[in-house]
Amino acid sequence: MIVALLAQGTPLTETGLWIANTFFYLIAFVAVGAALKMVTTSNVVHAALYLLVVLSAVAATYVILGAEFAAVTQVLVYLGAVMVLLLFGVMLTRAKIGAEDDLDHEQRWIGGLVAVGMLAVMGYSLLEAYGSTQLPADMQPQRVGPISDEIFSTYIVPFEALSVLLLAALIGAVVVARRD
Amino acid sequence: MSILASLAPAIAQTTEFVRPAIDWHAFAPELVLLAWGALVTVIDLIGGERTRRFMPSLTGIGFLLAMIPVLTLWSQNDDLPRVLFDGAYMVDHYSLVLKGIFLVSAYVIVLLSSNYMAEGDYYDAEYYQLIAASVLGMLVMTSARDLISIFIALELMSIPAYLMAAWRKSDLKSNEAGLKYMLMGVFASGILLYGMSLLYGAAADTRLVEIADAIDTGETTPIFTLGVLFTIIGFAFKVSAVPFHTWAPDTYEGAPTPLTAFLAVASKAGGFVALVSVVLFAFPHQWEIAEPVMWILSALTMTVGNLIALRQTNIVRMLAYSGIAQAGYMLAPLAVYSKVPDLAQSSIVTYLLIYAAMNLGAFAVVIIAARKTRSGDIESYGGMFRYAPGITVAMTVFLFSLTGIPPMGGWFAKFQIFNALLSAETTAATVLAIIAAVNSVIAAYYYLAIAKQMWFLPAPDGDHSPIVVPPALMAAVAITVIVTIATGSVGVGLVGDATDFVELLASP
Amino acid sequence: MFLNQFLLFAAVLFCIGIYGVLARKNGVLVLMSIELILNSVNINLVAFGAYNQDLAGQVFALFIIAVAAAEVGVGLAIVLLIYRNRRSIDVAKANLLKG
Repeated sequence: MIVALLAQGTPLTETGLWIANTFFYLIAFVAVGAALKMVTTSNVVHAALYLLVVLSAVAATYVILGAEFAAVTQVLVYLGAVMVLLLFGVMLTRAKIGAEDDLDHEQRWIGGLVAVGMLAVMGYSLLEAYGSTQLPADMQPQRVGPISDEIFSTYIVPFEALSVLLLAALIGAVVVARRD
Repeated sequence: MSILASLAPAIAQTTEFVRPAIDWHAFAPELVLLAWGALVTVIDLIGGERTRRFMPSLTGIGFLLAMIPVLTLWSQNDDLPRVLFDGAYMVDHYSLVLKGIFLVSAYVIVLLSSNYMAEGDYYDAEYYQLIAASVLGMLVMTSARDLISIFIALELMSIPAYLMAAWRKSDLKSNEAGLKYMLMGVFASGILLYGMSLLYGAAADTRLVEIADAIDTGETTPIFTLGVLFTIIGFAFKVSAVPFHTWAPDTYEGAPTPLTAFLAVASKAGGFVALVSVVLFAFPHQWEIAEPVMWILSALTMTVGNLIALRQTNIVRMLAYSGIAQAGYMLAPLAVYSKVPDLAQSSIVTYLLIYAAMNLGAFAVVIIAARKTRSGDIESYGGMFRYAPGITVAMTVFLFSLTGIPPMGGWFAKFQIFNALLSAETTAATVLAIIAAVNSVIAAYYYLAIAKQMWFLPAPDGDHSPIVVPPALMAAVAITVIVTIATGSVGVGLVGDATDFVELLASP
Repeated sequence: MFLNQFLLFAAVLFCIGIYGVLARKNGVLVLMSIELILNSVNINLVAFGAYNQDLAGQVFALFIIAVAAAEVGVGLAIVLLIYRNRRSIDVAKANLLKG
């Protein structure tokens, strides 16, 4: 519905905005919870599934921001390809599916301190810089056409370089992962 | 249906695609390498085992072919700089010199690899394809002037390297080298990208010049500080600056030795190019944040690198730590870039050129010596003058150059760094110059210890049979010796008017 | 909608990712935590793109998604290799090499 409203180029109404906002906070809450579970769970398969939740939530966030193509790409590439790869990685590298107790470093509290410290610094900086900045009320969704024009004109060099990168990664990964 | 209908007017608004004007000549080095790399890959696919032994020569020819457009671009001096995509891609003297350094280094690395790969029964054809891909990333990096190009070039440079570090598949050490390098590299990319996203948010543009203008507020806000810091830390991992260096010695020791040369020289230089471009072109007004960070990184990197290098008994690890220490020297001019931007840029480029020559040379000698001794211990170099005088003389040239004794290139490289630091005429810069000088003296101790081992001490097992040096390795040593001595000798003449090179590079 | 609600959401995911990288020993789990970091970057880029009504943010995010897929592929190839040789993908046990 948000998509349709945005698509007409009309600004969101009060209700539309309220719905979008509620959606966002719901999604963000679920995503943060799932991310926390992901880095603390003692079961590798569960961690992968929690990551799936986070990735879907991020895709939904893109939709709210009017970046539909990025959302679709996120679903196709991340939820489709990357998750399957990760799950294959989990399956192929361990016989045991279930809880394990040896996944974390002993000194994980250092990691916790670093993360909380960084969050404090980043949160302060963001609040200071963009305190009550609103997204533009007449925010237009970004369409595939202009994006492709942009990629195939201004960003044609990185695009071509990316194609070489994918080919090189493919060749190298086949060599490294194959059995001799 | 209703949604589709509502979309119709918006779809009708889609603008006409305008074909970008592309200066093909400016792209020629990249295009030649890309086309040649594709050709080599196809030849390998069709030829299989029959063409396998030609792969090193073919790849090497590709690097030399890509040199031709670099030279023709250089010869059309008046057309430089060539600006493409509104400044997102730039071909100027700075990028052409660097492209030359990368292509010649890559050629030398192919020479170093050919015997090692052929004799070790590795997947050699694919190895050369990955080297070519990685070098293509470096070529793009030298000209990239916007965040997306820089990021993609950095990844194109690194991802093949992650895989090649694990190339000795049956060796656990090599596997671990690949794993550590990959995890660290991807993590560093994440931090770098977060910094870049903040910069993009401030500028609403990915081009470096636009970012420079956008954050030119005359004051430092926390969000810019964060963007600048994260970006620099991301690059600090890539160039193995202390305290983000821990992956480097492990990766260097575990990876195949020719690849170690590639990582320590070409990959590190690529990271430096990205760092220099971003700092000089995107943060010219944010020097109050960037300069102190660079000062600390530089001082820490050279000191810690040298102190740990002192204790090494394995020559590859020693060269790895010495490479870290030299990264510290190369970071030093960035601690004064606001005062002397042109001098900082040219002194780093000079150092990169000479660094590439002398370190590749040292690695060539290590690879040659390992063919006989099968060991990387410094002790095994004893008595080498008795049975391999030519190699010993070549290694002495490289070691003297690394120490900074004239007329070898390393001396000129250090001179340029000190020149940049002292021209800034600030107390902090002078202190950094003193730290660098003290470090040069520490470094002399362990470099000259190897020379002493080779010239004066006896061979550990009394084995004086000569080393058979294959022609490819001989050529690699010859090229690096010539460049090391030539740059130093030219440097002696240039000291009077070293400004020429600076002005050339700084020509807008 | 505030710009900051998206940026802070991204910052939280970023820090959780940092914690995961520092606290986890298992190679696959470290890779997953890095994916969190990359996703937080993408939210930032898309949010800034929407705020500035500029396409480059979304384009950048698309490039990052593509590179992330390549990185995961490469990472899992190396993880598989190391598992085949050692029957463990514990990063802390990767200690034949000591810095």
